[in-house]
Amino acid sequence: MRKFTRPLLLCFAVLVIAVFLSIGVGSVAIPPKEALEVLLNTMEDTAPASDSTRTYQTILLTLRLPRTILMMMTGAALAGSGCAYQGLFRNPLADPYLIGAASGAGLGAIISLTLGWPASAFSYLTVPLTAFLCALLTVFLVFQLAKVRKSLPVTNLILAGVAVSSFATALTSFLLINASGELRRALVWLLGGSTMAGWKPVLGQLPFALIGLLGLLTFAYQLNVLQFGDEQARQLGINVNRARTKIVIFATLSTAAAVAFTGVIGFVGLIIPHIFRRITGGDMRRLLPISMVGGAVFLVLADVIARILVAPQELPVGIITSLCGAPFFLFILRRSKEKDW
Amino acid sequence: MKKISLLTTISIIISAAFSACSPGAAAVSAEISVTDGLDKQIILDQPAEKIVTLSPPITEMLYAIGAGDQVIARDSFSDYPETALSLPDIGGGFAEYDLETIVSLTPDLVIAGGINTSELVGSLEDLGLTVYYLANPSDLEGTFASIEVLGMLSGHEDKAKELVKGLRSRVDAVFTALEGVEEKPTVYYELDATDASKPYTPGPNTFYTSLIELAGGENIGGKLEFEWAQISLEQLLVEDPDLILLGDAMWGITPESVAERAGWNSLTAVANGVVLPFDDNLIARIGPRQVDGLEALAKIFHPGLFK
Repeated sequence: MRKFTRPLLLCFAVLVIAVFLSIGVGSVAIPPKEALEVLLNTMEDTAPASDSTRTYQTILLTLRLPRTILMMMTGAALAGSGCAYQGLFRNPLADPYLIGAASGAGLGAIISLTLGWPASAFSYLTVPLTAFLCALLTVFLVFQLAKVRKSLPVTNLILAGVAVSSFATALTSFLLINASGELRRALVWLLGGSTMAGWKPVLGQLPFALIGLLGLLTFAYQLNVLQFGDEQARQLGINVNRARTKIVIFATLSTAAAVAFTGVIGFVGLIIPHIFRRITGGDMRRLLPISMVGGAVFLVLADVIARILVAPQELPVGIITSLCGAPFFLFILRRSKEKDW
Repeated sequence: MKKISLLTTISIIISAAFSACSPGAAAVSAEISVTDGLDKQIILDQPAEKIVTLSPPITEMLYAIGAGDQVIARDSFSDYPETALSLPDIGGGFAEYDLETIVSLTPDLVIAGGINTSELVGSLEDLGLTVYYLANPSDLEGTFASIEVLGMLSGHEDKAKELVKGLRSRVDAVFTALEGVEEKPTVYYELDATDASKPYTPGPNTFYTSLIELAGGENIGGKLEFEWAQISLEQLLVEDPDLILLGDAMWGITPESVAERAGWNSLTAVANGVVLPFDDNLIARIGPRQVDGLEALAKIFHPGLFK
């Protein structure tokens, strides 16, 4: 258990530090004493003493805290589903977007932006909700296309996913080229920097991401057995198609929730599982949970960098994840003594 | 049933309490109530004293009506008038606005422009701020209305009306000078020619087309389908405009560089040397400077009528 418990505890410790950093760092400097006061006020439910405390309260509780939670959940969801897909497809290149969740969500977001729905009577959650639904629809379509009678071959799933993804991406590009309105907003969304303030996005994302992640955790054993191939898994008493279907459903649920509320953030779902595979080994019962925590840490830290790098402006966090993630990933790979990456 | 009657009782008590207070409140201050570009009702107890502006035209108009002292922060692109540059910068552009700093400045009014998304407006309102969304107008009347609304919000109603009156008389002077003019030069206005084989030009329903027409010219982009359109060089050669205005002059485009583009020297305007740099801000920035733009265009199109 040493290969698992220690790294996991370490990850949690770093997560706590990252969360404090994320709440503590911003364009407005808040003295720790004031921050503590805000915390106490909120816990005792008393009104803030002065105007400046009220301002700090808004910044801490309505801006930084929900954003931190959003990033934590997104990081965990992407890394968790990426890890599950790498196991399911037995392919180290698999990431959460492989079978169409991101391109579907992108299409949904752009449709909703070009039709000007955010300005309609709906609240401003229209874009994420449309993105979420379209992501689910796209994966459902891929799933139906890949199914051969009752079985669900992995190759079919990947190929159908790639084809449907390109189709959705082409539609997205077409809409972008013809859009007369707000292209900037759409671009930022596709770059993975759609951070909305307040608790509404958190409340929208949390239930789906949680169901998806907890669901995936219950399938860790089946994922392990699936590594031996379908025939072996069947002999070991696993209903391969049912397990595969459920894993896809849970992974899609968490990926769609992540991508809908934060935009397309790349690289997290690909590299985090690889990094932790080096530490804990390939046992999904260890790798899945630790990847989730690791993904949360990584995205929270990336978001802190995105906020301070060009302050007072902010960069889309998706740029940071790839910009910092890629060299770090290569460093880890080079350092490991194994001949094969 | 019990619940409902309890609720009703409470609401009656509350409304009674409020109606008892309201006559007194109304007597104390003249409330400002306006509907903004997103159809939201904005109510201010008094003119806004701490204003954050999220787009350059708004900053510009506020300064023009004498409300510059009430502006406490601006977006990254607000560079006119120059005094605005000394105000705190709260971001904008491709990246997001810095919501933390906006909140920490405790503005009593945030004014968003057509460039801002309704999601941003929603986020700011969730933070407890009052946000007025000024939709982009597409003609001068709309600009004048915007100036007057900003006057109302900032408590400079009289100054705003006076400014608009002055602007109107300048517009009328241009019309008077142009009376009876039959010959209208055709104009190609260049927004961006990074791809010189199909440069971007303003189409119908834009300020560009309407100001060029008011100034006695004809925008060849006005016949295109989209508001911001790419015109092919072929189409441009067919139209063969009398004049070329370089709205992208501020990005280093010169008449010489236009002449060097492949195929462009077949254009009459290029051969005749009537390729003129034009300050794009005089059209693009909604506000009083658009009347400067109108006058400048009229002078270019009909130099004989304006001495």
